[in-house]
Amino acid sequence: MLTAEQLKEVLKENVINLRFHARGGQGGVTASNLCVEAFYGYGVCQPMFGAERMGSPTESYVRLSANDDLVRTNEQVYAPHVVAVLDPSLLGEIDVTAGLAKGGWLIVNTVLNQEEIQGVVGRKDINVGTIDATRIALDVLGRNITNTIILGGIIRVMPIFSTDALADAIMRRFKGEVAAKNIAAIKQAIEETCVYDIGLDPDFTIDTKVPWQQVFLGLPGYKEVDKAGVWYCDEDVIEIGSGQVNTGSWGEYDMIWDEEKCTDCAQCWFICPDFAIIREKGEDGLWHMKGIDQFHCKSCQNCLEVCPVDAISKKLKQGPASCAVPEDQEGGS
Amino acid sequence: MSIEPMRIFFKEIKEPITTTMIGNYAVAGGVTQTDPDVICAFPITPQTQSVEGLSDVVHQGRLKAAFVNVESELAAISFSTAACAAGARSFTATASQGYLLMTEALPMAVGWRLPLTMMISARAFNSPNLSIWNSWEFTETNSEMGWNCIVSENVQETYDAAILSVMISEDSLFPTMFVHDGFIISHSVQKLTLIPDEAVRQMTPKKPRHTIDPSKPGTWGGIVTPSYFMEGRKNLDEAKKPVLNQMREVFSRFKKFTGREYDLIETYNLDNSSKTAFCTMGSMCGNIISWMLKNKDIGLIKIRAFRPFPHEELRKIIEEHNIEKLIILEKSDSLNGMLPPFSMSIATALYPLGTLFRSFIVGLGGRDVTRDEFDVAKKKMALVSDMNGRLYQYLGVRETKGNIYEVDY
Ligand code: SF4
Ligand code: SF4
Repeated sequence: MLTAEQLKEVLKENVINLRFHARGGQGGVTASNLCVEAFYGYGVCQPMFGAERMGSPTESYVRLSANDDLVRTNEQVYAPHVVAVLDPSLLGEIDVTAGLAKGGWLIVNTVLNQEEIQGVVGRKDINVGTIDATRIALDVLGRNITNTIILGGIIRVMPIFSTDALADAIMRRFKGEVAAKNIAAIKQAIEETCVYDIGLDPDFTIDTKVPWQQVFLGLPGYKEVDKAGVWYCDEDVIEIGSGQVNTGSWGEYDMIWDEEKCTDCAQCWFICPDFAIIREKGEDGLWHMKGIDQFHCKSCQNCLEVCPVDAISKKLKQGPASCAVPEDQEGGS
Repeated sequence: MSIEPMRIFFKEIKEPITTTMIGNYAVAGGVTQTDPDVICAFPITPQTQSVEGLSDVVHQGRLKAAFVNVESELAAISFSTAACAAGARSFTATASQGYLLMTEALPMAVGWRLPLTMMISARAFNSPNLSIWNSWEFTETNSEMGWNCIVSENVQETYDAAILSVMISEDSLFPTMFVHDGFIISHSVQKLTLIPDEAVRQMTPKKPRHTIDPSKPGTWGGIVTPSYFMEGRKNLDEAKKPVLNQMREVFSRFKKFTGREYDLIETYNLDNSSKTAFCTMGSMCGNIISWMLKNKDIGLIKIRAFRPFPHEELRKIIEEHNIEKLIILEKSDSLNGMLPPFSMSIATALYPLGTLFRSFIVGLGGRDVTRDEFDVAKKKMALVSDMNGRLYQYLGVRETKGNIYEVDY
């Protein structure tokens, strides 16, 4: 682990990159903004560009240095030195350590221990910090919002900015009690972060970006893409169709269908935005509802609202995914 | 003009017929003969009679096409594009502000590789004033979206272009627009020879192609992330490469049926004593050819294929004929650039050769272009000996009540 002084030396002529993994609505972008605001030098924060939806996996990037020309590039971050994961359910879904430098830090909101985390991500060459940010959030903030708390974990393992600087940034962004509570939560997080230090620090002079990574070799080339921007359902030209997206991981609830009550009216089938209502043609030649496709159901609850006979109900998800999706806004406010 | 200008197309044309018509009706006739399934356009001066003429033949019963009335040009291009995607041979037409209103939907027919055809009666954009008269708006914007574009000189050519465009579109699977100068050709009565229906049928067979098909569901134009978009664009770029050759093949097939000869670029009197040639498109070519009868020391390069632009062909012509100076005439300007758009294409093609050129902006908003312009341009060009200084100038514009800008007379 490097001290604040050592890091200052590093930052004079090097860049430190951070990447945040969260779900839409959890405030990952706010966390990365706060890094830039709290840092004494120059910084850039970029979200992963695109459409962000509640509960969908998100990424945001931070680049920090005391040398402004080093962070002047608008390239995305390919080689983070620190990766922070706000939602443990992402560990099974996203390759969170992609590009993470040897000796870099992975900080996860989780109740698992550090060795277990190393096992989940399959990396022995990285340091791990874990923090039960969800519990701290519920205790101190009274709401399950972990984005500021995870920053405490970063200060603990890599003090690139001071607690005071972060507190200032938070006070500029949030008001009164909300700011105070967030600062208290961060202080508690610094204390409670469990550190698993493998005794190796990242070499900040090495660029670990895979050359031409942004071109995504392995996907079809221009000679292989189908004619005219058309993808036929029976041809797997582009593997990443919406059918492959696990929208099921975005939601808070498991939707439950009651076959007994269901009258096969098909209203849920019409309203479902993800084609997650499964129907099959029966021997009688008619279509019957068969259940809910949990891989794609994002628990929007449209079907529950529309069902005339209350044949659909919901149950809060258990396990690591249960901390997804706060009710209203992001940013711990 | 007869009360029923389209009457000649109401029954099968069995033999070549020589007749007289305005450009727009001639286009309506040519389009009729290509047997479109869907016609959808919004009327705008000076394109109007082409659509009216088609409504006549549909109403009379000769042409079994869906004639679709829409509320705007954006609707017209959207409907035509969708109809073409669904497998229908489709035709639309527009000009000026209507063309601008279409802008949003213009790239889709290219991306989906649809053989849509569109007539443009070239007309100025409204700036600073409204003008319904001729300028080359089609060169000024949208010309990089990937539509094929051929330009016609007279009524015969624009009639032929209606048929040629269908052939080019079908062969290249890219949409094709064909352009004539608004009013100058759209509304002038000229002699032309009609092609027998059977010949047109043989030239424009309806070929199988990929279309929207309910039995083969798919997503057309769905969103892709940055990991795919560029491959899609490069795929189109590759598909565009053979288009000029496909056009040439179309021209030679057309010649076999009609005897009329077209090329990407046509040339006149290039082996002249001054080693100088005019280079332009459209109706002005006729004016120059007449004027050249008394000006035998100068040549003409007439560009028919504006998009894709035949760079290599132009270069070859200049080299083969040792042309040292080009006088570019164009009916559009460029308030910001070094050169207006047509000249820009030519300058790019000429770059490796270093041919001297100057660009003259003439005939904007329907101002007539006459031998006066040609005389002055020729004189000015004779004095040019390098590429320093201004590369374009307006020609034929009043500076004050009493004099013409940079013209002594
Ligand atoms: S909650 Fe119902 S409507 Fe919404 S995605 Fe799931 S199945 Fe479809
Ligand atoms: S809306 Fe309710 S009753 Fe109708 S098909 Fe769906 S679950 Fe069954």
